[in-house]
Amino acid sequence: MIFNTLSYFLLFLLPCAVAFRVVHAGIKPWICALFGIVFFVYFSVSELHGWLAAACVFIFVWESLFRQFYRPAHWTCLAGILISVLILFVFKYWNFATGLFTQPFGENPFHWSGIFLPLGVSFFTFEFIHYAADRYKGTVEKGTTGEYAAFIFFFPTMVAGPIKRFQDFAPCLRNPSRNWSLDWNRGITRILAGLVKKFALADLLTSMTDHLNTGDILAAERWVLCLWILAYGWKIYFDFSAYSDIAIGSARLFGIETPENFDWPYIRTNITDFWRHWHISLYRWLVDYVFIPLGGSRGTKPFVLRNLLIVMLVSGIWHGAGANFVVWGMWHGLLLIVHRIWSQRSGATVEKSVPSRLHRLPAWLATYAAVNFGWVFFCMDLDTASVFLWRLFGG
Amino acid sequence: MFGRLKHIFEYLGGAADDKPRVLPSPASPWWGLWWAALIVSAIAFSGQASKFIYIDF
Repeated sequence: MIFNTLSYFLLFLLPCAVAFRVVHAGIKPWICALFGIVFFVYFSVSELHGWLAAACVFIFVWESLFRQFYRPAHWTCLAGILISVLILFVFKYWNFATGLFTQPFGENPFHWSGIFLPLGVSFFTFEFIHYAADRYKGTVEKGTTGEYAAFIFFFPTMVAGPIKRFQDFAPCLRNPSRNWSLDWNRGITRILAGLVKKFALADLLTSMTDHLNTGDILAAERWVLCLWILAYGWKIYFDFSAYSDIAIGSARLFGIETPENFDWPYIRTNITDFWRHWHISLYRWLVDYVFIPLGGSRGTKPFVLRNLLIVMLVSGIWHGAGANFVVWGMWHGLLLIVHRIWSQRSGATVEKSVPSRLHRLPAWLATYAAVNFGWVFFCMDLDTASVFLWRLFGG
Repeated sequence: MFGRLKHIFEYLGGAADDKPRVLPSPASPWWGLWWAALIVSAIAFSGQASKFIYIDF
């Protein structure tokens, strides 16, 4: 829950945003860090797995200490990246990965029955990796201990992004906007709009799209299945964009700008453009820390296409430990490959492949249909998805 | 046309800072009504509240 609880607003957001605004500049980062620590512990205990989950606050403490050793082109940055990946792997993929290797032998002896997901682990590890990678490249300043603590403990974006960059966050922290009336007007409006989006739209669609099982799929008419998957597509959009609205609006109360996450993705007329406007902060992270290190767009055509596929595969696996997320990632990777080949054949660059007025409607329809087809793998395990697709196209 | 409509939606949702010309000034009481409408809508639908999807990712 978190963002849709009163305690978030009364215990954390309002006191912290006001305190941040009124205290001396040198104390501002520590206000963010202090409230962030309490936020992490409070919601880990109340919403997740109790004190064990709350103890994961020491991951942040470790990160704050270890990052002191980061130097440009120094091995400690690479070690920092490795440790962050390891943290993510252990909490998110341990049972899935060990299960894959031990499946042929029956029971998984390495199965961790008490496994839990620390609050925001998929997001804060990406911020850790960004900082370590950019310190390695020398493209980000070290910052003070307080500034870095504020960066990783900044609670409006801690749980599910938008994924920030230290070089964007630190200047806002040092010199936040002082236009109280505009920031609070826009911030509160955005939070309220996010809450309405969540409660009135996303939750309404959730009640329509939850609990779909194989029995329902076998009994449903084809048009119902079509409607169901379209409703799911809108539900996930409203849900996550509502979350992002509340996060961005909350940060605005501090006078801090955070990255946008959504920009009308469902009106886009090709898949590349869709990904530039859907979960923008993740897409940019994947481009900067996966696609470019792999070689990016430089190299032979098959090499670039391979890079695209790997990026979307990483995106799929990041979304969840399951074969269905791998297929979802591969599907989007294939779509990006097809779009790249298509736009290069028609003489345009991927960046400037805007369809003519005549082709805009079919291009939009094809993109919208392809994205919604992908949601089948996102919201169901592979067995259920197979039944769903068989009913939709065959039986 | 679509760009203007998009801008109006974004301003109404708090995502844009510069006010579209067709909307009343920020000092207008209409904005109080707009906030009230948002609060009432949020409360009216809050009974079915579920977890945000991405918290589990």
